[in-house]
Amino acid sequence: MKRNYLIVEDEPTMRMVIRKVLLESGLEIDKIYEANNGKEGLQALEKFPIDVMLVDIYMPVMDGMEMLDHVMSDPRFENIPAVVVSTENDENRIDAIIRKGIGFVHKPFTKELLKDQIIKMAGE
Amino acid sequence: MEKSFQNEIRKIAHKTFEVTCYMFALDEMEMDEESLISDHTTEETVSSLVTFQGAAEGGMVISADEELFDAIAANMLGIDVATEEEKEGALCEIANIICGNTVPLFAKDGNICIINPPKIIKNGELYSDGFEQFYEESFHVSLDEGTAYISIFYKRV
Repeated sequence: MKRNYLIVEDEPTMRMVIRKVLLESGLEIDKIYEANNGKEGLQALEKFPIDVMLVDIYMPVMDGMEMLDHVMSDPRFENIPAVVVSTENDENRIDAIIRKGIGFVHKPFTKELLKDQIIKMAGE
Repeated sequence: MEKSFQNEIRKIAHKTFEVTCYMFALDEMEMDEESLISDHTTEETVSSLVTFQGAAEGGMVISADEELFDAIAANMLGIDVATEEEKEGALCEIANIICGNTVPLFAKDGNICIINPPKIIKNGELYSDGFEQFYEESFHVSLDEGTAYISIFYKRV
């Protein structure tokens, strides 16, 4: 099943890396959209048909968790699978993310790890 | 006397370079004499500084020699020729990941560290300014595509 992906990440280099890893992962991809922060991520959700979100936590303007809180309280977007991609190491924070039904991939990550998390959250 | 974190940071750096850039650590025996005696402060290097605060405050500097600086971006991004901006961005991302995985070593009693966005330091800038009173560890990591120099300055809060 081809899906549209949204990468929400403030570092352009990391957006390029995630895009490259996605393309190499073997997942079926239709389009990959990018946003610079949580606020732009929410705008992208309004404009494009997003199937899966890959979201960084620490970003200026609006961080990833604030964005995901907005997403989960909006009936239009609450069922879109999300995976947080971060260097976050605090177990309490990671647990809190997972308890919300969000996937988590720790940097550095392999394409296999990212693919597994996406499949876990969104299905094959 | 502070505990040395060099071995832990070295492992984190090896994993980061391997997973993110497909670069592998060289055994010390594989290093040539020049690498062993080189002093990174006198080479043409580019550095990225990531500062942090919380359970400890300080900063981590990752410097790459010219060969490694080029290779990080090329391998991370899968491109033959990276722009200067892409090279700097790639080095900053490596620094961000290594520092992000290092600061949990300082966590204590639920008090963690928050890291700040990395920034590039050009040759000649004194990155140690402001860290004079901090504990310092410096070492290099030899990889099959160049040498990375890592310095961490920290002070427990």
